[in-house]
Amino acid sequence: MRKDALLIICSLLIVFAFKTVTEPLFVVPTKWPKPAYDFNKNPLSADKVELGRALFYDPILSKDSSISCASCHSQFTAFTHVDHALSHGINDRIGNRNSPALMNLAWQNKFMWDGAVNHVDVQALAPISNHLEMDEKIENVIKKLQRNTLYKKLFSKAFGDSLATGEYTLKAISQFMLTLVSSNAKYDSVMLGKAKFTEQEKKGYALFKKNCAACHTEPLFTNASFQNNGLPIDTTLNDIGRMGITHNPSDSLKFKVPTLRNIEFSQPYMHDGRFKKLQEVLKHYVFGITKSKTLSPHLTKPIMLKPSEQVDIITFLLTLTDKKFLFDKRYSYPKKLFSKEAKD
Amino acid sequence: MFIFLFLFVGLAEAQQTKNIELKFSSSFGTDNISLNDTTSFFSKKDSIEISSIRFYCSNIQFLKDGKKIWEEKSSYYLIDIAKDNSCKLNLSVPQNISYDEVKFNLGIDSLTNEMGAMGGDLDPTKGMYWAWNSGYINFKLEGKSSKCKTRNNEFKFHIGGYLFPYNALQVIKLPVNNATNITVDLDVTKFLASINLTEVNHIMSPSAKAMVMAQNIAKSFSAK
Repeated sequence: MRKDALLIICSLLIVFAFKTVTEPLFVVPTKWPKPAYDFNKNPLSADKVELGRALFYDPILSKDSSISCASCHSQFTAFTHVDHALSHGINDRIGNRNSPALMNLAWQNKFMWDGAVNHVDVQALAPISNHLEMDEKIENVIKKLQRNTLYKKLFSKAFGDSLATGEYTLKAISQFMLTLVSSNAKYDSVMLGKAKFTEQEKKGYALFKKNCAACHTEPLFTNASFQNNGLPIDTTLNDIGRMGITHNPSDSLKFKVPTLRNIEFSQPYMHDGRFKKLQEVLKHYVFGITKSKTLSPHLTKPIMLKPSEQVDIITFLLTLTDKKFLFDKRYSYPKKLFSKEAKD
Repeated sequence: MFIFLFLFVGLAEAQQTKNIELKFSSSFGTDNISLNDTTSFFSKKDSIEISSIRFYCSNIQFLKDGKKIWEEKSSYYLIDIAKDNSCKLNLSVPQNISYDEVKFNLGIDSLTNEMGAMGGDLDPTKGMYWAWNSGYINFKLEGKSSKCKTRNNEFKFHIGGYLFPYNALQVIKLPVNNATNITVDLDVTKFLASINLTEVNHIMSPSAKAMVMAQNIAKSFSAK
């Protein structure tokens, strides 16, 4: 018994000694709420995250091996598809919506603009199988992975079993996505008392809290709800949003409130990417609200903002840019892993 | 401490158990459906071909006078009529239990539907999961009918949905008088009698129609 205890203590010491060297895979930032994700059911490990990262960047997930998750979710634009109002999939097929930026997913329960996906673990199934995106069957993806030398190695390291399964594949992808935490913007430093807003940023922050924060709630800058934000219907798409999933008329034209973190780099904006600039977004909220039965209660009274105040808000929004996140090497294309040596 | 552990294990082993074989089958009236090959049936009005019958059976219980005597928690079985192995479940129950009903869920409960990626019979690669609107498909029936004016006369029923008001899960209770060999049979003719294939031939999302169909499917099961 005593020997066992000693052994456990020793191994714990080794683990802790190792931990001080490597950065932890996931940390809840100071003063942030508890994540929604249950990490007990899928405990993070460096090997699983690495496997997930490889899968995220590998076009093997698509039918003709032409696009990967990263095709529409590139790191330097906060993991979205910059310059494309509607993202495109294999064979240049154009999708129906603007690909959402990926970050702080551990704090969310519903995914996609309409909340069609109920858990981050099963998120990847949607773009893999969508005809306009990767157009591949998950069954085929697994077969491809089971044959692949690199993945045999990675699955074996991550799960102690070289044979890929749907469960392992999805859990690994979600592990990588869960590590995408953006919490190092200037805004965060100010909140921790390590930096100061300029006068204009301060003004913008005050206006933001008054006019925008009901839905874009700090510190995640989303309250994860579904809202109709008064966009006129684009009749070329006729997208009814959340109602398409719930069939409930009270959900008509509602879309998920997106986070505003890294908004400087995640253009275009809205579910259909109709606005290219933040100025257009601000103008929409001041002048462009279309009234309807399901309009967000926060938007029924007009938002009065002078042009200079709109600029103040945008100045504040730029403090949500997290350069560390956008250039963090842990999230980037795994060059080493995909190099020839690794595959051999 | 170890002695206690051994004692405990010993005690547990001392409790006698027996095996109950719960077998699922499918029939077309008086004919058995094997699905090793596509199975065809003919009547004066219609010719029907069944190509796939798959469904989830979960939370199996035995009841006596309506009270739960035994249950198998957190177990989910994907029954595929085309695969004999998947149709035979062996349940180990205490030797002395007495029961008059078997009860199970046809489908996957809402809690499990929101648990994320899972393995075994619940692995999303089993073809029983909706990617575009998260959730398990509880029941699949596919085939052809001369009544269907669709491409290749096909009909496809993928019944699922776990959110109110379209929670399609069905609880099935069937009389079994202490039997240790139970066959639960799905009579497709009963189910087909409840719908008009000319009008309804494709259901592949949670809806009010799917709810009605789920109830009709549940009524088509019987125990032998």
